[in-house]
Amino acid sequence: MRRRLFLASSLAAVGLAGCANVKAALTGGTFDGVLDTAQALDERVIGTRGAARLYTPADVERTFRVNGLDTPSDATYDALVADDFHRYTLAVSGAVERPDRFTLAALRALPQRAQITRFDCVEGWSAIGRWSGVPLGTLLALVRPKPEARYVVFRCFDRDPQGTPFYGSLDLQQAAHPQTLLALDLNDRPIDADHGGPVRVRIPTQLGYKNTKWVQRIEVVASFAQIGGGHGGYWEDQGYAWYAGI
Amino acid sequence: MIRRPRSDVPPDVMERHRRVYRHSLAARITHWLWALAILVLVMSGLQIFNAAPYLDASDKSDPSARVLAIGAAGSDAAPVGVTTIFGRSFVTTGLLGFTDDGLGERAPRAFPAWLTLPGPQNLAEGRRWHFFFGWVLALAALGYGIAGLVRGDLRKLVLRPSDLPALWPMQLYYLRLRKRPPPYEEYNPLQKAAYTLVLFVLFPLVIVSGLALAPGVDSIAPWLTQLFGGRQFARLWHFVFMALLIGYFAVHLLLVLSTGAWNNVRAMVTGWYTSTAHPEIER
Repeated sequence: MRRRLFLASSLAAVGLAGCANVKAALTGGTFDGVLDTAQALDERVIGTRGAARLYTPADVERTFRVNGLDTPSDATYDALVADDFHRYTLAVSGAVERPDRFTLAALRALPQRAQITRFDCVEGWSAIGRWSGVPLGTLLALVRPKPEARYVVFRCFDRDPQGTPFYGSLDLQQAAHPQTLLALDLNDRPIDADHGGPVRVRIPTQLGYKNTKWVQRIEVVASFAQIGGGHGGYWEDQGYAWYAGI
Repeated sequence: MIRRPRSDVPPDVMERHRRVYRHSLAARITHWLWALAILVLVMSGLQIFNAAPYLDASDKSDPSARVLAIGAAGSDAAPVGVTTIFGRSFVTTGLLGFTDDGLGERAPRAFPAWLTLPGPQNLAEGRRWHFFFGWVLALAALGYGIAGLVRGDLRKLVLRPSDLPALWPMQLYYLRLRKRPPPYEEYNPLQKAAYTLVLFVLFPLVIVSGLALAPGVDSIAPWLTQLFGGRQFARLWHFVFMALLIGYFAVHLLLVLSTGAWNNVRAMVTGWYTSTAHPEIER
């Protein structure tokens, strides 16, 4: 019995030593294609259905945690901040019948929706806040996507330290979900720079990284294969799943 | 079980060495799929845990409801790993909190690189593996359940009320406090209890508590996330069920090794088990 235990533990030790190399080889990206089939399955089975749970004002956290990167360091953005975003305009273009531009005042003049929802970060933490703004579906109805339109791409201010621009995307169904907002306020104040102001996507049915910050313009497209790294968003290009309902 | 050279074995004992077909093909395939899936799920799960190395007994993140936190503390010159469970802190440098980063150095990192998949910090890749093998575990469990129902061979390892009286005597036998095990058929009552608990309680719970973390699932079935006490609480439960599965695995491994390792492993590969009738069982 002792001999066998000794043998088993020696094997385990050898296994562990070789493990790091095996793991590095396995997770180097060779199997990503196979592994990503699970994402298609997740999207099909879970999708964007139902509605995120709504909370009460008592649940709201005043100091809302920041996800992703904080304040952008971008000259265009800084100029807009200096002007209190009076010169900010959100251009909506691409595969739409009526391309348009919206100032912040114009966005605020549209019907607003406020909801207290839980923000679920991919890292595993959650925070509850009151988000309000224009339902993305309302905005899309104004510009009328063409029949070939499939995705809404959000182009953002700021770049990461390597100079890669931020962007994100949702499909038309996710965009039209009544809880999907182009948020303007967080906890009754204009969204600050750290939290993605002045305009940020807020989609409580998916993880935080789909809540694209610092939206500069919106492009409606048939495919995002030619945009950025081709995976539909800055975080998706870093290896995160495009569908983030899980 | 005592092994003796064949020549020593009297003919009537030889009679008792019978080869029985113990594990169906479906059981063997799913067994090894589970083994692989659980290995990958635990390691990639620890990688995912490392991104937010704390567990709160609440819906949203709440330090006042923190049950477990694994972090680094101390000065930059002399960092230490600190694990806090229910408010009690332990120094766990090297093992938890301040550990091997998979790149040849120590870094603030809850679980060490040798325990996670991938080794170095990479949440996106960890999630890829976790969700793929989550499906493997779930589909293999489903396939096993269906095959078992069709073949009717689930009944031999599911604990039934009639097994209950024999549970304690069997435990006494394992503890060497009783000379003979109570009579049983293919699996003893404790084995049945363990298999039933793992297959029909822990597997579903670990899968469902993981799903309850997903905002997409919470939107479809808010009652599910609420059942576990909210998203962060579900994360805590998911971790607890993982720990229980590891506990089961430790006992499983110990028993496989101590009751004829070769015979057991061979049976789970070929299906054929060399049965030694327990001479000490009174039938």
